[in-house]
Order: sequence, then structure tokens, then C-alpha cells
Amino acid sequence: MFDFLTHDMLAVIWFFLWCVIWGVYFIADSFSLGAGLLLPFIATDEVQRTQIQSSVGPFWGGNEVWLILAAGGTFAAFPLVFSKMFTFLYLPMMLLLIGLIARGISVEYLHKDENPRIQKAFAWGWFIGSLLISLVLGVAFANFFKGLEIASGGVYTGTLPGLFSPYALIGGVLFVFMSVTSGALWINVKTEGAIASKAGNLAKKSALIVFILSLVYLAYSFVGIEGFTTNYSATPALYLLPVLAVVGAVLSMFFAKKGRGFPAFCSNLLTLLFIVESGLASIYPYMLKSSISPDYGIDIFEAASSHMTLSIMLGGALVFVPIVIIYQLWAYTLFKEKIKET
Amino acid sequence: MVELILLSRLQFAITAAFHFIFVPLTLGLALLVASMETMYYRNKDETWRKMADFWGRVFKINFAVGLVSGLTLTFQFGTNWGAYAEFMGDVFGPPLAVEALLAFFLEGTFFGAWIFLDRNRQKLKTFSMWMVALGTNISSLWIITANGFMQNPVGYEMAADGSKVVMTDFFALITNGYVWYMLVHTLLSAYLLTAFLIMGICAYHFLKGNNSKVFKKSFSIAVTIALATAVMLPVLGHGYAQYVTELQPAKGAAMDAIWETGSRVPMYLIQVPDSSTGSNSVQLLGIPGLASFLYTGSFSGKITGLNQLHQDELPPVGMIFWSFRLMTVLGSLFIIEALLGLYLQKSGKLYTSDKYLKLLIWSIPLPYIAITAGWIVAEVGRQPWLVYGLLKTANGISSVPISDVLLSVALISTFYLILMVFEIYLIKKTVVNATGAE
Repeated sequence: MFDFLTHDMLAVIWFFLWCVIWGVYFIADSFSLGAGLLLPFIATDEVQRTQIQSSVGPFWGGNEVWLILAAGGTFAAFPLVFSKMFTFLYLPMMLLLIGLIARGISVEYLHKDENPRIQKAFAWGWFIGSLLISLVLGVAFANFFKGLEIASGGVYTGTLPGLFSPYALIGGVLFVFMSVTSGALWINVKTEGAIASKAGNLAKKSALIVFILSLVYLAYSFVGIEGFTTNYSATPALYLLPVLAVVGAVLSMFFAKKGRGFPAFCSNLLTLLFIVESGLASIYPYMLKSSISPDYGIDIFEAASSHMTLSIMLGGALVFVPIVIIYQLWAYTLFKEKIKET
Repeated sequence: MVELILLSRLQFAITAAFHFIFVPLTLGLALLVASMETMYYRNKDETWRKMADFWGRVFKINFAVGLVSGLTLTFQFGTNWGAYAEFMGDVFGPPLAVEALLAFFLEGTFFGAWIFLDRNRQKLKTFSMWMVALGTNISSLWIITANGFMQNPVGYEMAADGSKVVMTDFFALITNGYVWYMLVHTLLSAYLLTAFLIMGICAYHFLKGNNSKVFKKSFSIAVTIALATAVMLPVLGHGYAQYVTELQPAKGAAMDAIWETGSRVPMYLIQVPDSSTGSNSVQLLGIPGLASFLYTGSFSGKITGLNQLHQDELPPVGMIFWSFRLMTVLGSLFIIEALLGLYLQKSGKLYTSDKYLKLLIWSIPLPYIAITAGWIVAEVGRQPWLVYGLLKTANGISSVPISDVLLSVALISTFYLILMVFEIYLIKKTVVNATGAE
């Protein structure tokens, strides 16, 4: 299969697919994460909590699979990157894992018991899980863009506190607020009553925060991060990515202010998607960039699997990813009605 | 380094065993609930609706933990088994990615749809549950394909520098004989576990004097499945034992603690193996030639003894022997219980047979124990190999600070314990509160 493609070409195609899968994950999971981040603060009673739960309940599980696909795809297409990424960032990955488990269980078990204390515990479990997921991924991706401390011979010399540079922290907070905005607008669009308007009002503020943070983050990336501009100088068309991110943030602010939830929601997703892609575009051909010297980084050609594995996976992805996207979109049409206060 | 390898193995053992507490019931109940949804859709009989509702509630609680605990395993291939991931990625990554693509998306997407679709859209609801059942059962094919390579590597060659395996034949991976033995064995035992759980829960209600149609009907379906699977498992297991003895002689010999090479090897009903002396300290009631028959297919068949195999490549014999014994003894008990259940039901004495009903309640954990024991035989029996004949377990780990692994073992174990307690509490509450009339 795909014998007309060289191994290097397949590696490049897989890098592109890898960027797409991560992008889809971030936008698909953002509103469930955001709903979790908001739940304990904006829902005043069981009715409102149930509204929020029902707004994301049918979708979150299927959406989270994009993360599993991103991990599994990395394992299959770039085993070396999979191994190093998880080994270097051992404790952050464990925190991410705990976050994923806490979130999943909390969404499903939220009101399985009548005891208000247990219900409250799960509401906070959903919050803490969502916070861990968005914060860890935000910090981790900022570090990927900045480069990890990989010394010669692929030896990792970084430390846990070393991951929390100002740049990574801005990245983490930005991801949290992009999720918050996404969640607030989703609740605004999908529910009716007090909770919908409360979420709509909140979205106005958080969209503004996303706009400011994304400007700061992008400016920092282009000015303060070594090697970030290399690919941009070589291929100026890439500048479209950060521009679209900013345009998304502006539109999201604009529509949120006008009270038009759905276009605001889509615009915010645009920002989220292109913040991620702007960074990924900067590290190519590296997947794990080294902040010590570019030579020490792990690039896609070194990490890629065999021609056979890459082509079988490509065939599988070309057939099944569209099918998955079609039935997931179809699932959204099954639950079109706004969720009432009952 | 010894401690790091032990901790890494301990963490994987805990998380894999924990995950597999929830998987079998998911596999079995998904199919059953989907069937109940279909029956209700077809003939609008309220009993089917009540059954789908009740067993659906149990399914939901169980499914959630299975879903999230599966993530841990994927993560650990990178965090704790990085050297393994690099060695095996070319072959092991694709089944995992395909599993996500073909199975997890179906499960995840349609599980949400099934829960939130109401009975006014019964057709879609039924369809969704079938997709969940399809997804969960397809998932087992892919994960066992990945595991099958670790047990019996096929369709690969070593990279020129010997640093990793490279896939040469994807089709060979899927048609690996080991995969199909293990898949059928795993699925059958999952259905058996589901059947015994249903029988146990029904028994609880019969004992309380609640003989509602929901439980009666559930029981008669479950007892049939229990009997069919309980009988099929040892028949298949016999073939599997022969197959595995050819593939991995040490595992086969350890399953019955056969120390010396011989023909017409007896099987001892009472036996205590002792690895330090390389013999059995107790062996009584030998049935001549039975071990030869079980492991070679012929009563005069020759079995290579553990003492004649590479001594530095032997698995821990005691653990495998006792796990295997436990599994087979429990397996025999399942056949008796299922036969008895069918007889009592047909003769109409079931609802008054308090002793049998109590036995059924106490039997709920037994298939869980048997399945875990079976996995211990399969996975510990492969030691010291991580990938049989290609990579030793000790060479598969990530070099991460031992304190990090210690922390993660503690964190995950505590977290899992809380989850488990709460899950059992929720299922128990669901069962106790059900009247069969709602």
C-alpha cells in the first residue's frame, strides 16, 4: 500500500495527521472540560447541575476517544516519541491520568446517589479533573513548543519545577480559559433558563480573557521562544495560523457580547485549534524539540515507524476517521433540543 | 534497578487486573441489554423494557469505571514501559490505534447516545446499544491481537541493528492462532461471568420472595448462557493447553508443575510443587496419562519437564500452578452450579431452594477470581519474557526516578480502591432497591 510514497513522505503525512488529531481532540473535549470547570460555581442546585450534565453527557465519552487516538496514533506512527514523551513527563502524565479518571467518573456518577454530599463531591471531582486535564495539557504543549531539556544522546535533564516557566504557565492558563469559554458558550446554547443566561454573561468576560491571553501567548512565542519563527520565515503562509487564532478570539468576543452563543462558540474553537496548530507548525520537523540544541531533538524521520506500519495506518485513518466524524456529527443531531429546567 | 522493575510490574499488574474487573461484565451485559432493547422494540412487552432498564443501570455503573481505567494501560506503555514501546511500537502500536478508531469511538459515542435517548426513540436507542456491544467486543479482538504478539510473535522481522521489531505482515498479526484461542476463551469467560452475576442478583431477589417476571426471565436466560459457556470453556481450554505447551513449553509444564520429562505423565489430584527442589513435595491420587492427554492430546504423549528446560528462563512455577488449579476447580464448580440451576428451574423448585440461591449469591465473585487467575497463568507464565523469545521483561522498562513510580503506584492504588468501593456500593444499592416492578 502507498508504495508510491517514500518513507519520508509518509512520515510527513503522519505528522500532519498527528496535528489534525490533536487539534480535533482539543476542540472536541473543550466544552466538556469547560462545563466541568464552571459547574461548581454557576450551578446553584441539582436541577442546574443536571442541565449542565445533560448538555455534555451524550458527547464527552466519544470526544475523549480523540485523546486515546492521539496517544495510540503516536504509539503506532512515532513509537520513539510516544515513549520519550510519556517517560520524560512521567508525573505530569500521571496527573493527566488522574484528571481523566476523575472527570469521567464524576460526569457519569454525578447524581447516581441522592446524598447531597456525594453529589457535591462529584461536582468538585468533575471540576478538579477538568482543571488537571486542561492545565496539564496546556503546560505540556507550551513546553513542547518551547522545547524540552533534551541533552545529547536523548538524555532528559529537565525537572518538574523546570516545566513551569512563565511561558508554560501562560499556556496552561490560556488553555483553561479557552475551555471555560467553550463550556460557557455550550451551556448557553444547549440549555434554557437561568443557567443559560448566567453562562452567556460569563462567556463575555472569559472571551475577553482568552483574547488578551492569546495575544500575550502568541507574542511571547514569536519574540521570546528560540527557534519559533524558523518555519514561519521559511514559509510565510504559516502566519495564517496565528492570525486565524486571533481572528477567532475577536469574533468570539464580538458574538458573545451580542448574545449569539453558537457563532461565538465556533469562533472560540477556531482560536483553540489554531493556537495549538501555530505551535505545532513551529516545531516541525521535530516532535520533541530540544531547548538545549536543535540537534538533540527527536524529529519525525528518526521516530517514524516502518513504511508498512505507516501505510497500513494511513489507509485505516483515511477510511475510518471520516466515518467516525460522520457518526459523531450525526450524534449531535440526535440531541438538538435545548435542555429545560426540569 | 531491581526495585524499579518490581514496582513497574506491580503497577501494571494492579492497573491491568483492576481494569479487567470491569471489562468482562461490559462485554456480556452490552450484548444482553442490546438484545433486551431489541425485544422491547419488537413486541413492546413491558417486561423487556423493565429488564433493559434494570440491567442497563448496572451496565452504566460498571461501564464508566471500565472506560476510565483503560486509559491507564495506554498511558503506562509510555510512562513505565518506554523501552518496550520503542522495541514494539511498529507492531504493537497499530492494533492499539485501530482499537481506538474502530472500537472506542463506537463505544464512547453510542454509549452517550443510548443513555440520553428516551423510550420514544426506541429504535435509535436499540441501535445505539448494539453499536456499544459491537464496539466493546471488537475492542477485545484488537487488544488480544496486541497481546497475542507478546505471547507468540508472528509477521515481523528484527530491525537490522536488532533494536526493535518491524512489521512485515499485518495479516499474520490478526490470524495469529494464539489470538483466536485467547479471544474465544476471553469472550466465553466474560459471558460466563455476566451470567453468574445475573443469576446471583436474581437469586437475591428470589430469596427476598420477589419472584417478579423481570428476575425470572433474566434467570432463565442467564442459566442457559452459564451452562453453555461453562461447558465450552474446558473443551476449548483443552485445545489451548496443547497449543500453548507447543508454543511455550515452560508455561505448559508449569501449569501442572511437571518437573521431569516423560511420556504417559500422570496428573495428580493433590499436588504441592516446590521450586527450590525442582519437584513436588506432595503428590497424591495420580491419574495415569491424564497430564499427557491434556497437554499433548495423547495419553502416551511426551511432555518436556521443567528441569529439562533452560533454568534461567523459567516462570515462577508455584504462582502459575496454583492459579491454573484455582481456575480449573472453579470452572468445574461453574458447570455443576449451572446444571443444578437448570434442573431446579425446570422442576419448579428453584424459588424455594434457599441453599442453592445463597450459593449463587456467594458465587458472584468466583468468575472474577477465575478470570484473574487465568490472566496470571497467561501473563506470569510468559515470564521472564515480555515479548516471548525476543525481549526480557527487565529490559522493557522506562528509566524514570523510582520515587516517581512509588508515588504513582500509591496514588493510583488509593484512587482505584475508592473507585471500587463506591462502584460496588452503587451496584449494590441499584440491586437492593429494584423491585422488578418499575
